[in-house]
Amino acid sequence: MNRRSISLWATVACAAAIGMPGAQAQTKAYAGVTLNVMTFTGPQIAEPLQRRGKEFEAATGAKVNVITVPYSDLYQKLLTDWSTGTNSIDAAILAPQWMPDYVGFLEDLSPRVKADTKLREDDVAPFFREFSQKYGGKTYTVTLDGDFHIAYYRTDVLAKLGRKPPQTWDEYLDIAKAAHGKDFGDGKPIVGSCIAKKRNAQSFWMITSVAGAFLQAKGTSEGAFFDPATMKPLVNNDAFARALEIYKETGKYGPPNEINMDVGDTRTLFVSGGCALTVDWGDIGPLAVDPKASKVVDKVGALMLPGTTRVLDRASGKLVACDATRCPHAVNGVNRAPFAAFGGWSGAINAKAKPQAKDAAYALFSYMSQPEQSNADVTVGATGFNPYRQSQFKDMGPWKKAGMSDKAAKDYLGAIQDSLNSPNMVLDLRIPFNQRYQQVALDTAMARFLAGELDVKGTMKNIEDTWNELNDELGKAKQQAAYKASIGAK
Amino acid sequence: MKRWFEPRRLGELAPLPRALVHGALLAWTFVVFFPLYWVLVTSFKEPLQVADGPVFLPFVDFQPSLHAWKYILVETGRDTLRPYLNSMLIASLSTLLAVAIGSMAAYALTRIVYRPSVAAVLLFIASVAAVVALVLGAGLSLGWALPLGAMLFVLGLRPLQRRITARLGNDDILFWMISQRILPPVVSAIPVYVMFQQVHLLDTQFALIVTYMTANLPIVVWLMVDFFDGIPRELEESAALDGASRFRILFDLMLPLARPGLVATTLLVLILSWNEYLLALFLSTANAQTMPLLVAAQNATRGPQWWTMSVLILLMIVPVVVMTLFLQKFIARGLLTGAVKG
Amino acid sequence: MRRPGDDPVSPATVASRIDIRATTPTRSPDANPGSRAADWLDRQAGTIFIAPAVTVVLLFSIFPLLASAWLSLTRFSLQAGGYELSFVGALNYRKLIAGSQQFHLLGTAGEMAAGTWVALVAAHALLAWALLRSLRRRQAYAQAAPRAPQAATAVLTLACGLVAALLSPLGPFAAAAQSARDALDLPWFAWLLIAFAVLVVAAVAARALGAPARISGLVGRQLAGSVWLLVALVAAGTAGGQQGSLLTTLFYVVGGVALQFALGLGLALLCAQPIRGRNLFRLSFFLPLMVTPVGIAYMFRMLADMGVGPFAPVARLLGLGAVTWAQNAWSARWVVLAGDTWQWVPFIFIVLLAAIEGQPRDQLEAAQLDGAPSWRIFRDITWPAIAPTAAAVVLIRLIEAFKIVDLPNVLTNGGPGIATESMTLHAFIDWRSLNLGGSAAVAYLLLLVSTLMAVSFFHFVVRPARGEPAA
Repeated sequence: MNRRSISLWATVACAAAIGMPGAQAQTKAYAGVTLNVMTFTGPQIAEPLQRRGKEFEAATGAKVNVITVPYSDLYQKLLTDWSTGTNSIDAAILAPQWMPDYVGFLEDLSPRVKADTKLREDDVAPFFREFSQKYGGKTYTVTLDGDFHIAYYRTDVLAKLGRKPPQTWDEYLDIAKAAHGKDFGDGKPIVGSCIAKKRNAQSFWMITSVAGAFLQAKGTSEGAFFDPATMKPLVNNDAFARALEIYKETGKYGPPNEINMDVGDTRTLFVSGGCALTVDWGDIGPLAVDPKASKVVDKVGALMLPGTTRVLDRASGKLVACDATRCPHAVNGVNRAPFAAFGGWSGAINAKAKPQAKDAAYALFSYMSQPEQSNADVTVGATGFNPYRQSQFKDMGPWKKAGMSDKAAKDYLGAIQDSLNSPNMVLDLRIPFNQRYQQVALDTAMARFLAGELDVKGTMKNIEDTWNELNDELGKAKQQAAYKASIGAK
Repeated sequence: MKRWFEPRRLGELAPLPRALVHGALLAWTFVVFFPLYWVLVTSFKEPLQVADGPVFLPFVDFQPSLHAWKYILVETGRDTLRPYLNSMLIASLSTLLAVAIGSMAAYALTRIVYRPSVAAVLLFIASVAAVVALVLGAGLSLGWALPLGAMLFVLGLRPLQRRITARLGNDDILFWMISQRILPPVVSAIPVYVMFQQVHLLDTQFALIVTYMTANLPIVVWLMVDFFDGIPRELEESAALDGASRFRILFDLMLPLARPGLVATTLLVLILSWNEYLLALFLSTANAQTMPLLVAAQNATRGPQWWTMSVLILLMIVPVVVMTLFLQKFIARGLLTGAVKG
Repeated sequence: MRRPGDDPVSPATVASRIDIRATTPTRSPDANPGSRAADWLDRQAGTIFIAPAVTVVLLFSIFPLLASAWLSLTRFSLQAGGYELSFVGALNYRKLIAGSQQFHLLGTAGEMAAGTWVALVAAHALLAWALLRSLRRRQAYAQAAPRAPQAATAVLTLACGLVAALLSPLGPFAAAAQSARDALDLPWFAWLLIAFAVLVVAAVAARALGAPARISGLVGRQLAGSVWLLVALVAAGTAGGQQGSLLTTLFYVVGGVALQFALGLGLALLCAQPIRGRNLFRLSFFLPLMVTPVGIAYMFRMLADMGVGPFAPVARLLGLGAVTWAQNAWSARWVVLAGDTWQWVPFIFIVLLAAIEGQPRDQLEAAQLDGAPSWRIFRDITWPAIAPTAAAVVLIRLIEAFKIVDLPNVLTNGGPGIATESMTLHAFIDWRSLNLGGSAAVAYLLLLVSTLMAVSFFHFVVRPARGEPAA
C-alpha cells in the first residue's frame, strides 16, 4: 500500500536516474511487477490507459500490459477469466453497473481509498463517491469517468424557432414537432429528435431516462425501478404509461430508421447536423467541436434531462401534480431526475491478484484519477473520459483549448454540473442479474412495443410479469435487500 | 439471325447464349464487387464523409484521406501485426492438420467397411459422462476420474456387447462426424474454455490450432468422401495387384487423383479457420489474438469506426486472395478418370 | 437423380468394397520377414486411417456436448469468488416451450385465416406424399411384393397428425390439446411417452399393411413427420401474430439454402462453359467467402443504411425515403437473407464447380457430338454425376445455416421486436446476460431441430442421390 504520491516517486526516480543509473531499479516502488489491465479496444479508455500506464511505468517500474477486447465482449471475457479461476487479468476498467455480478471477485478498496489523500475523494461528485463506487457500503472501484444522460439541442435551430431549451418532456416533444422536416440553412431537412431505439443496444436506458423524472422525486434512495418497501416493479402505472407514450411519440419526429439506430448512429447523425434534439451520454460535447467529425461546431447546447410537473403517486399508481412535499428537489416546479446510465468507466482490481500487483494497480488507478491527470484527460474527447470532479468545472481553460467556445463550454459543463449535483439522480439498476431485468426483459418489451407488437398496457404488463417472475425465481427477499443496499434505502 | 444460335466450333457456345452467359456472370460480378468496392472506398473516408451521405468516387466526390490506414498500420501497427501473424499461423497449421487427418479418414470411409458396435459407443459415452460427473459433481481430480472411467469402459465392454449386438455402419460414422457441426459454438465455448484451462493452455496458439482442426475435420471428411467416391476402383485394384500397400495407394494414387476436390476443401477450411470469431474470442486474451477480433473491436462505444474497420477487412482479405490465386489452377484441372470410365 | 433400376448400388457392389478383414496381402510367400511387419501394418491400415480423426473429434466433442446438456438443466449464478450451478430440472425448457419465453421461441398466436387452414392441410398432404415416395423407393430397392403402400402411408400420416395435435404448444389445436391434457393430469414426460407409443403402434400397423421397411425405419419417418407437423402447426398458429426465433431460423435455413443452391448451381454451370475469362470469374465469385463473417455483417450494415448508405439515392429515387426495411419484420428478414446469400453462394459454387469439372468427359463430349440440347445434357449426364456432391454440400450448408448469428446481430440486433432473431442469436443474447441455462436449452432445442432436419435430409435426399435407399 503505497501512500506516497507518484509524483514524489517520479522526482526521486528522476534524480536517481540522473545520478546513479544502476540504482534505479531499487528506488522504484514496483520494479519487476507486471500488471495485466483489461478494457475494451479504444481509442476511448484504452488510449489514456496506455498513455498513463507508460508514465506510471517510468515512475514506478511496474510494467502495465493493456489488453483490449471488443467492447461487446468485455463483460463476458472478464467474468470468464475471474469466475473460472484463470485470473490472468489483475485489474480492469469496467462499468459500475456490472458490480452486482462482479462484486464477489473485486478487491475491497475502502481502506486504500480512505488513506489516499492524493486521490482527493472530496472533489469527486457525491453521486459517484457514494453510489457509483460503492456496493453494500464498501468501495470497489476508482472513478475515472462520469457517465450519465443529458439532452442536447441545436442552438441555431432553437433560436430560429424562438424556443427555449426544453425543461419538460412535453416541451421536448413540442420542439421536436416544430423542427421536424424543416430546413435550417444547410439544404437538408432536419429531424426533430434522435434517440437510440435499436434493440439490444441502448433503448432500455433511454426509456429510463424518459421515465425517471415521472417515477422518482424524493432523491436517489426512493428508487426508480422498484418500490424498495415492497419490491414491486414501478412499470405498470400511469407514470410509466405516459413515459412510453412520450417515447413512442419522439419516434414520430425522428429519422425513418430510428428503430434500427444505436447510440453510435444517433450521435453521428446529430453531429453531422441531422437532428434538432437528442439524448446521449457526455460524448457529444467534445465530439461536436471536432471539425473532422462535426458539422455543428459551436451550434450545440446541452442541458439536464427534461423532467415533468406531474409525478407518480406510488399508492394509487396515478400521476399527481408536483408540490413541495411530493417533489422536494424540483427546480421551478419541474421535477428533474438525471439518469446515471451505465455508471461511468472505473478501475477495479481482481481480489485474487498477487498483493504486489494489487498495490500497483491501485496506485495506477489513483494516479489516473488524481485531479492533475484527470482534469486534463476529461477535456480531450478521444479519451472517452467525461467530467466527474467538481474541480473539472472550475477552469474553462482546457475546454477552450479543446475548441469549445465560451458559451458552449459553459452550457455543456453547466448541464453536467447540474446533473452531478442533483440529489434526485437515478441510480442504474444494480441488483444481481440486473442484465436479465434490463437488457433482456425490459429491452425485449421495448423492442416489441416500438415494433407495434404490444400496446402500452401490454408492454407494461409484460415487463411487470417478467420482472416479478425473475424476482420469484431469484429470491425476492434477496433481490430486495440488494436493491435497498444499492440505493441506500432504509 | 440463325447464326446467333449456332456455335462456331464444337465445344463452344453460340454467340447469343455466350453473350447471355457473359451478361449473367458480369451481373453477379457486380453484385460481388460492389460491397467490396464500398469497403475500399470507405477506408479512405473521414468520419464526416461517411456520416454525411454516400459519396462514391475518390477525388471526384470527395478527397480521400489516409488517416484510417495510418492509424492501423503505423500508430497501432504493432497491435495489428501480432493478430495478423497469429491468424496466419493458426489458420495454416490447423488447415494442414485437418486436411491430412480428414482425407485419411475419408478414404478409409469410402473403401473400408467399419462396423462399430452400438454397445461400445454407448458405453464410451457413459464412461465420459461418469468422468465428467465425478470431476464436476464429486470434485474428484482428473487424475482419479480418468482411470475410473477407463476401468468402467474396459470392464463393461464385453458383457454389454454380448447383450447389445447391433452394429453401426460407415454412414453412421459419417453422419456422426458432420453432426458435430450442429451445436452452435456459443454453447460449447465455455466447456472448451474450461477444458483448456485445466491443462493451462489458454491464450496459446496451440489451443486455437487444435480447436480449429477439430471443428473443421468433419467438413473435410464429409467433402472428401464424395470426391473419393467419384474415383473408380479399378485404378486401386490394379495398384493393389501390383503389390502396393494401402498407404502407398492413398498417398501416391488417390490424393493426386482427388486433387481438385482436395484443393477446394483445403481452401474452404483455410477460410473457415481464418475467419472464425467466437472460439478465438474465448480462447485468446493477449498473445493469441486473431484478426476477426480486431475487426469486431472497431465497434467501440462511439459506434462502429467504419473507416478502420474497412482497412482491417481489406487487410484480412489479402492473404486469402493470394492463397486462392496460388491454388485455383488445381481446381480447374479436370480429372483423368475420363480415360478410364466407359 | 438416379432412379432405382438404373445402375443401383447393389449388395454385390458393397461387397466388392475391399473388406478389411478379408484382405490378404498379395505378396509372394517367400518375401523377407520385414515385409510381414509391412503386411501387418497394411492390415491395420483401416484403423490407422480413421483413428486420428475419430479420436480427435470424440475428445473434443463429447465433453462440450454433455456439459451443455447439464448446463441446460441448471441455473447459473455468480457467487463470491466463483460460480454456482443449481439444478432446476426442465424449467428452462418449459419456459421456452410453454411458459414466459414461449413468445420468444415459438411466437405469439394470431387469427387463423382461411389461407392458413389451406396451408396446414397442404402440409399434411406434403407429408403423406413424402412418406409414399419414400416407401415406394424402398419397395423398389428391396424388390418387395408389389403391394401399394397407400394404406400404410395413410396410417402413418394419421399417427403423425395425432401426435402433433396432441403435443402442440401453440396453434389451432393447442387450446383443445391443453384441456385434454389437463383432464388427465399426467406429468409432461408421460405425454411424450404416450406420443411415442402411438407412433410405435402405427408403425406396427403399417408394417402389417405391407409397408416395406423396418419398424425402426417407420418410427424414424414418423418422428420426422410429427416434428414437421408440429412446426407447421406453430407456423399456422403464429401466421396472424408474430413468429418466434424457431420459425425465423427455419426461414433463414430453408429459404436461404434454396436460394443459395439455385444461385450456386447456376453460376457453377455458367462458369463451366467454355467462355473467355472463366478463371477470372471463378476467382471473383470466390471473393465473398474470404471476408470474415463479422466483417460481412458490418459491411452489409453500411450497405443497408438507407440514410447514408450507397443505396440511399436509389431509395430516394424510388420514393422509398420514408419507408425503412428495419421497421417491418419480413423486409428485415429478407435483408438478413440477402447478406447471408451473398456470403455463402461461393461455398456452394466452388464445390459444385469442382464436381462439374469432374464429371465424365467422354459422355459429355459424345452427347455434344450427337447435338443434344444443353438442358438434356444437364438432366441426363451432369445432374446425376453431381447429385451426390450437391446433396453433400447442401447438407453442410443446411447445418451451418442453422447457426446464423453475425448478420442478424449486427444488422438489427434481432429487431424489429424479435423478428430477425435466429435461435443461435437467441441463445447468444441469453448467454450474454449470464442466463447460461436458458442459452443451453435454446441451443439444445436447436440441436434437436437441426439434427432432425439433417437426418431426414441425409436419409431421404443424400442417400438416394448416392444410389442407396433410405432405411
